[in-house]
Amino acid sequence: MSAGTQVHANLTEEQVRQISGDLDEPDWLLETRLEALEALEELDMPDVIRTPGRDWTNLHELDFESLVDPLNAAENKDQVGPDEAEVLPWSEAVAEHEELLQEHFGSIVDPQENYLTALSTALFSTGTVVYVPEGVDAEDVTIRTEQNSSSLFNYTLVVTEESASVTIMERQSTGEEAEEQYYSGIVEVVAGENSNVQYGSLQNLSEEAYNFALKRGDADTYATINWIEVNVGTQLTKSGVSTELNGDSSETQIVGAFYGHNDQHFDLDAKVWHRGEHTTADLVTRGVTDDVARSVYEGVQDVGRDAWDTSSYQRENTLMLSDESEADASPKLIINNHDTEASHSATVGQIDQEDLLYMTSRGISPRDARNMLVEGFFVPVLDEIAVDELREDLEDLVAARLRKRD
Amino acid sequence: MSSEQDHLKETDTEARFEFKKEQNAAVKSDKGLTEEVIRMISEDKDEPDWMLERRLRALKQYQNMPMPTDWPGQPDLTELDIEEIVPYIRPDVDKREGVDDWTELPDEIKDTFDKLGIPEAEKNALSGVGAQYESEVVYQNMQEQWEEKGVVFMNMDKAVQEHPELVKEHFMTTCVPPSDNKFAALHGAVWSGGSFVYVPEDVTVEMPVQAYFRMNSEGMGQFEHTLIIAEEGSEVHYIEGCSAPKYGTHNLHSGGVEVFVGEDAHVQYSTVQNWSKNTFNLNTKRAICEENGTMEWVSGSMGSKATMLYPCTILKGRGSTDTHITIAFAGEDQDIDTGAKVYHNAPDTSSTIESKSIAKDGGRTNYRGLVHIADGAENSSTAVECDALMFDNESTSDTMPYMEIEESKVDVAHEATVGKIGDEDIFYLQSRGLDDDDAKKMIVAGFIEPITEELPIEYAVELNRLIELEMEGSLG
Repeated sequence: MSAGTQVHANLTEEQVRQISGDLDEPDWLLETRLEALEALEELDMPDVIRTPGRDWTNLHELDFESLVDPLNAAENKDQVGPDEAEVLPWSEAVAEHEELLQEHFGSIVDPQENYLTALSTALFSTGTVVYVPEGVDAEDVTIRTEQNSSSLFNYTLVVTEESASVTIMERQSTGEEAEEQYYSGIVEVVAGENSNVQYGSLQNLSEEAYNFALKRGDADTYATINWIEVNVGTQLTKSGVSTELNGDSSETQIVGAFYGHNDQHFDLDAKVWHRGEHTTADLVTRGVTDDVARSVYEGVQDVGRDAWDTSSYQRENTLMLSDESEADASPKLIINNHDTEASHSATVGQIDQEDLLYMTSRGISPRDARNMLVEGFFVPVLDEIAVDELREDLEDLVAARLRKRD
Repeated sequence: MSSEQDHLKETDTEARFEFKKEQNAAVKSDKGLTEEVIRMISEDKDEPDWMLERRLRALKQYQNMPMPTDWPGQPDLTELDIEEIVPYIRPDVDKREGVDDWTELPDEIKDTFDKLGIPEAEKNALSGVGAQYESEVVYQNMQEQWEEKGVVFMNMDKAVQEHPELVKEHFMTTCVPPSDNKFAALHGAVWSGGSFVYVPEDVTVEMPVQAYFRMNSEGMGQFEHTLIIAEEGSEVHYIEGCSAPKYGTHNLHSGGVEVFVGEDAHVQYSTVQNWSKNTFNLNTKRAICEENGTMEWVSGSMGSKATMLYPCTILKGRGSTDTHITIAFAGEDQDIDTGAKVYHNAPDTSSTIESKSIAKDGGRTNYRGLVHIADGAENSSTAVECDALMFDNESTSDTMPYMEIEESKVDVAHEATVGKIGDEDIFYLQSRGLDDDDAKKMIVAGFIEPITEELPIEYAVELNRLIELEMEGSLG
């Protein structure tokens, strides 16, 4: 079924022209937006997994008509970075770096990949461009977005030149809560030769919010892209994090953590495309489901015909704290070159009863013992998080959620 | 092995399995799938009305269902034109329900099964044998001792006549209804032949029963139906084998298998699939397991152009157990998409899935599996292990497991690895005096050993031999 039926009447070319005009965008960018708007009719929702009798996520229930209010976007944003790197709001980047944008905008995530990417491309009104020149080592780039309107469309572009390095910490939260909100964020990372990108993201939007997030990087020769993807907020999140290892000897790591409670639904995927030779990928995700929350995880390790000497590993573990929660997982291997060492594993289970018994027999209350075991469950992921601040935030959020529990 | 069996050592696949016989049909349907064809098949079998009605209902369902085309990475079915397939060929034999003496068969049919080694196996290792040629069973026999204990092993068409109540209750009703998928519906409309197995309470059939399915004619479809009912506390091992000559046009095999595993019963279902490489093999196999019952699927898929097969177990009763053991071997132009489905619908159920696949010369294997643990299926556990071996850079090896967990008191583990055949292992074996070919054969034999050891020795030997055949020629 085409999602085109969801395009609502009050979404017009004039709105898109106004957004683009307010940002003083060049014609080519306006054209890209208008083409995306027009394509909505034809495009489908992002793929979700379906098995006989079961849709793992239903995106068609989203009521875009009432959620999307393109001309009234409001937010509170901080975009901070060290002097050596450029960390620019979208409008400034348009004014100062048109060539850079023309080269990279939409080069990794096709604006017309699906209905939601096209919607985001047509309507985004805010964003950040991080540019790190050759050889520069930029730490502590922080992007904080606080949503204060019923819909917000955000765009982020990261470009690192040869042998540059950057650590980025992005947070999304909600300021003024409305009954239902929609946040959409697209992130493109262009990692130049021998450069290193650490991109940490902490999504802590209101539990009334819907979230569509797509992050994708292209790693050149010897480049490294490491993602940290933490999901705590929203009632429904559809998030994809992926790396194309196009350059020889490039590497990626995707570390994921989620904690769903109440009726939260997380649909998370981690994907890597091995295309160059001697590439390495390591995918690690851990998450908890509580109450009637539901988690969906898809992991894809795709090894191309010419990807000689590939190493690719994936692990996913879900801990179910409540009998009413649900956890679906599908870790996939697509291997087209035999010179590959690839493995994946996935587990789902509850807290180990023997561990619990041991701890309570040592005088720890059942509640404390459980909380310690849940915190301990996240340790293998915490250990992989190279950004201190993000690690501490995740620890605090997990602890806070456990404290609220009986 | 006696000298009479020397042909079984034949290393040329064509001589061993793909030899052709003159077509000798008493009745042959038109191509394609129409109500007239269905009525003709039913009439030729002198079926009761209720079966004709089921066929016609299945035909309607078939016509209303789309071809499966949207599965991620599924085999290409565009070359399969069902309107070009001849669904029904009754071979020209004297006795319709199958003779119980091989010498009563026409020479070309007897010679076929001799070459495949079936009468020899019957003497040595089996409790009973059924042999199907084209659309009908031509030979059916079981040792007397089992008949005396009330065990029934007969051809499915005959069971419709002789055991109408059992068949009415179990045939494509609760286990594999025609609405399950397009090819199940197709099967429901045109099914012919196959086996009916009934094992009474507390009877253990000590040696396996076997059915062998042979397609001889070009462009035909074979749609045998197997229904196994194992009553409380009984035990049976059913083995099926199949093969066909290779033709330029496509053949279709779309079997249906339904297994009812009673309380405390134990059923093993083993398949050695060796269809010719012009055959589309699209089957639906399913078992329903009652309390403390055990279902074991052992599948070796070596043949066919494209296979889509996911034997399914529904663990309905508390404490029931499922085991899947699967080997897939895909060579040039083969797409073997196979796996397992398990539904844990009761507490204390457990399942184990072990899959081994080998891809070479541009072949593709895919493990596609689904494990579903329903809310309330407490203390259930599942362990899935998939290992794949790749020979070269033209081949593809995919792994696509799906896990749906609605219950928290469970233990779910999935593991998979993919790798190339190890240079170091080959080097080691070569340093011990083996040549490259033998080293690779030995590594493959070792890779699939966990599976072959689950089969009776005759079949383990046969499976190893089949895989050696597949490896001949392209090695070195």
